[in-house]
Amino acid sequence: MFSLAAVTPYPSRMSIAASDAEDDAALARRIIGCAPDRDAAAEAELCRRLGPRIRLYGLKHLRDKASAADLMQDVLVMVLQKLREGSVREPERVASFVLGTARQMVVDGRRSGRRRVRILEAFPIDLMPPDEEAPEPLDTGRLQNCLAALPERERAVLVMTFYDDRPADAVAADLGLSAGNVRVIRHRGLERLRGCIELSGAAT
Amino acid sequence: MSRTSCTTEPQELLQYWLGELDEPHESRLDEHLFACSACSERLRTIVDLGAAIRSEFASGTLNVVLPEPFIRAVKQAGLRVREYTLDPGGSVACTVTPDDDLVVAYLHAPLRDVRRLDILIDDTTSGKHRANDVAFDPARNGLVAVTSTSYLRTLGYSQQRVRLVAVDGADERVIGDYTFNHSPS
Repeated sequence: MFSLAAVTPYPSRMSIAASDAEDDAALARRIIGCAPDRDAAAEAELCRRLGPRIRLYGLKHLRDKASAADLMQDVLVMVLQKLREGSVREPERVASFVLGTARQMVVDGRRSGRRRVRILEAFPIDLMPPDEEAPEPLDTGRLQNCLAALPERERAVLVMTFYDDRPADAVAADLGLSAGNVRVIRHRGLERLRGCIELSGAAT
Repeated sequence: MSRTSCTTEPQELLQYWLGELDEPHESRLDEHLFACSACSERLRTIVDLGAAIRSEFASGTLNVVLPEPFIRAVKQAGLRVREYTLDPGGSVACTVTPDDDLVVAYLHAPLRDVRRLDILIDDTTSGKHRANDVAFDPARNGLVAVTSTSYLRTLGYSQQRVRLVAVDGADERVIGDYTFNHSPS
């Protein structure tokens, strides 16, 4: 089984600090310009920048963490391959190219099974960003206090929304409200919750 | 683009995440999110906060009033729910066990003409509380109160008296009283 953990560790942010200021297009041009050799630092930085966006896109469209992680890996492999081959004609639009690749992979379901294994075997990768380059986790106690401090309706609507990522019309149907009303309550609740968490964070 | 701050409103990002936007709008945001790390990061913050709310609810730390169809859905999703059903004036012996994810009380009540509903709680352990303007559907003739299992697990023998009150301007009208006699499992 292919394991990302078994290959070269992903460079730390410290070691790629010189690349931090470069944008996606400049990194894409570096990778293209370096072919057939590899600019490992540019590839790593591009993966670090694009990986979370692909993962988020995958989470939205596939609603599954593992599938989103697979999608991220497959898209990055494909994009790096195309850049190295020189088949990306407009490096300044590399983000659009990545989105197009992600869309296509979601649509035609090519991320699983034998094809995926073939790609990974034919194109070894050592530049994947870690699965969770996560932000600092929320303080659970602070979150509980802030949720408890919300007006009743806002707490109920936020729970009903986020328990299964339900749109406003589904929440509204359960509460006998209009979808517009639910959106207003949801927006107020989310803003109040974020404000409370930030405020109590600043106070500690 | 990626080095500027995010100008997309959180409300719009949440609508995108929940699939509420029309296809052209969603497609435009897809494009923008791939090009703009600031907006992508803002969306991730919202998604992470949503996941944390989900986790808090599923681990039973929240007191919240919810409609019955929603509780049915979480049961179908696999949460273990201990349920008590009471009519107005009713009382019940209740508890919580280590296996329970949620403890809920179905409080039957005539709510058809009620505009605003408050819940008054008199708890022999934690004192008196009032939950103002809870979420309910007047057509359902009842509501479901979810009580924090983390709190219930701290209780010894105790009693909770719950009163539903319809509020209309300055007027208040008692809709029903319910009594919970809790004992540890």
